[in-house]
Amino acid sequence: MDIKEKFERILSEVEKPARYCGGEWNTPDVKKPHRADMCFCFPELYEIGMSNLGVQILYDIVNKDDDFVAERCYAPGLDLAAKLKENNIPLLSLETRKPLKDFAVLGFSIGFELLYTNVLYMLDLAGIPFYASQRGEEYPILLAGGPCTVNPEPFADFFDVIVCGEGEEADINLLRAVADGKDKGLSKAEILQLVNGMEGIYVPSLHKDGETVKKAIVRDFENASFPSRPLVPNIEAVHDRAVVELYRGCGSGCRFCQAGFWYRPIRERSAQRCARLGMDMINSAGFGEMSLCSLSTGDYTHLEELENILVPFCDEKRVNLALPSLRISSFSSDMVRQSRRSSLTFAPEAGTQRLRNVINKNVTDEEIDNLAGAFEAGYDSIKLYFMLGLPTETDEDIAGIAEICKRLKGLYYLKRHKRGLNISVSCAVFIPKPCTPFQWEAQISFEEMLRRQSYLRGLLREIKGVTFSWHGAETSVLEAALARGDRRQSAVIERAYRLGARFDAWTEQFKWELWTQAFADCGLSVDDYIRERGTDEALPWDFIDTGVSKKYLLKERALGYKEITTKNCREGCNACGANKFGKCTIY
Amino acid sequence: MVVLKHVKRDSACFISHIDMLRHVSRILRRAGIPVKFSQGFNPHALVFFSPPLAVGVSSDSEYLAIDTDMPKDEVMERYNRAVPYTISAEKAFACEKNPNLQAKIIAADYIFDVAFAPLDFSGGFEIEYTKKGETVKENVSDRIINAFDVDGKLCMRLANGNSSLRPDRILGELNRRLGSDLRVTDVKKIAQYVDDSGLTVAVDEFLTESSK
Ligand code: SF4
Repeated sequence: MDIKEKFERILSEVEKPARYCGGEWNTPDVKKPHRADMCFCFPELYEIGMSNLGVQILYDIVNKDDDFVAERCYAPGLDLAAKLKENNIPLLSLETRKPLKDFAVLGFSIGFELLYTNVLYMLDLAGIPFYASQRGEEYPILLAGGPCTVNPEPFADFFDVIVCGEGEEADINLLRAVADGKDKGLSKAEILQLVNGMEGIYVPSLHKDGETVKKAIVRDFENASFPSRPLVPNIEAVHDRAVVELYRGCGSGCRFCQAGFWYRPIRERSAQRCARLGMDMINSAGFGEMSLCSLSTGDYTHLEELENILVPFCDEKRVNLALPSLRISSFSSDMVRQSRRSSLTFAPEAGTQRLRNVINKNVTDEEIDNLAGAFEAGYDSIKLYFMLGLPTETDEDIAGIAEICKRLKGLYYLKRHKRGLNISVSCAVFIPKPCTPFQWEAQISFEEMLRRQSYLRGLLREIKGVTFSWHGAETSVLEAALARGDRRQSAVIERAYRLGARFDAWTEQFKWELWTQAFADCGLSVDDYIRERGTDEALPWDFIDTGVSKKYLLKERALGYKEITTKNCREGCNACGANKFGKCTIY
Repeated sequence: MVVLKHVKRDSACFISHIDMLRHVSRILRRAGIPVKFSQGFNPHALVFFSPPLAVGVSSDSEYLAIDTDMPKDEVMERYNRAVPYTISAEKAFACEKNPNLQAKIIAADYIFDVAFAPLDFSGGFEIEYTKKGETVKENVSDRIINAFDVDGKLCMRLANGNSSLRPDRILGELNRRLGSDLRVTDVKKIAQYVDDSGLTVAVDEFLTESSK
């Protein structure tokens, strides 16, 4: 029996076998003649990975190129992993069931710190050594990309190449270099020499102190390739819908938000192009839902023009048009009336105006009052997102969260009397992230997290109709430690994996004691990573040129401490520096 | 109303019934087949299915009833352009109204990938399976209508619809009796039957009759 047959036989013994079957509608031809092939590896389950827009975009770009093909592989569930090991079957690609180690390039998409062990989990199943230094010519070139490349140091030792920033152009350039190198009979080391220094390309083994890596960005975002024939997941995915990316970057300048700074400069697509993409996606895939996605969708310059095209189209096709990341300041009750959603979501992030000024979340109390319009329009439930442990936070700020809930209830009763208002409060813990004005901040201690959570829980318990949920304190500490980690953490991640850590993002799988042991075994301490960093200290990610200058970040941090806000870029440029990579197209 | 008879083969056998429902709404949308919707607060597409198929079992005989005014041949052509070959349609029937197959279907034939051998049900047919974490033991011989030879392979007609017997659940006992190693993927549904005024009639025949 060959590997494929063996694999097919075990499929009927695992949970949700359709995860591993491929053959999705709109799958491109991956059997066409090609110069080089790659496999996108996503270190999470199929239903999560299929919802990732970044991978869909890159997969589409590579397959549209005459010279290359791309396949996919998602982290298998633990049940399948056990069966693969038991039957001696290496991890296979989804489309042609080819062993991962037979590809020219493997591209891991890393979007979240708690996925680091899953990279090793997949390599382990694929029979590929973890460290770049341990892999000879017989192994593929391992590539990492995705949002976590803002600080790639914790996983740098595992990869041959890391694409920092946006992969749209960098991935293809890299594949071309690999194909050219192979044609010329170059060794892996020689190919790496060639690609080192290309825009956005970081080769950890060749990097010298003092060198900078410029993050890769898409310059012509208007015309950038977008999957207008998206894959239709075999089983229900987390986000089963057509997603239109309206713009990249964000002008809000929330001081805790990594994506807001990392994806600058701000590049918008025209309403015409966005509408065309959205309609093509619905027509080719048939999704029943379309969402307009960007960091602050309501801020999009051409939102009205876009809605004027999409609303009638979606009505006719019976497609639900969703606007999920609506910010309060861009809130208009008209918009709410048009969408058919039953629950509002808002993210004031902090309970008081004072703290919102610190973090530059430009949402005012009056804007919260505007929600009355939504209640009038028929909404009976609202989800509120906050963060605990923000810099300068006091108990008064926490009490402010309860005050907002009370205020909303009051507004609701003025407008409607029938049912009660359901408020769900969800609290994350503040995580200081690289490439933000708060990148130097300490994270509050574990004990303090628990204290603040229980204080807030007590206050909310007294208000009828409010439910409270919060993120696990331990996972927040780990996320913070890894987000600002350095090279020494590769050993910690490996150790944690060997001890049994994997699927750390899943509450039922997460085992904190494995991580504390892994840090200790490597002679490191978690506390050292979540402490405040000195402004004169060299930070592990300093070598990446994100466009936004360190000086600007420091200035923003100082303004934060003075509780002074910075205006939205849409009202005028704040000179962060990112436009050296290209113009911000928002005026 | 148009009824399509479609297959579910190869990897599509792993698509659950619930996921199938979701897929069909997208297929109809991208195929451009206009479907009528129910009235009321939460309108839903008027699409009806034959009884669910167990995950892993393939089929040559699934039915999908669509409330539409489009001619049946065009429906089938558009449907087939919008689906992978693994769930393609092979026949289309026009019906006056919803044939309500979900309720009318009483039996289905399954072919098992094993050489035919006579089976004796006179002493009962005791099976064991887990349901919601609990082991269930039951005698199901009353829901085994028949076992016969089709091209040298074992074929069984099992109760389907309201009181149904899932073919995957009898595999353990079949393997024990036949000394075989059948898996759920070795089973294929090849026909379904309705109760038409007391007579057992193949669905294709029933739909052809009712479309006249
Ligand atoms: S360059 Fe100016 S407009 Fe562009 S993101 Fe920076 S501050 Fe905002």
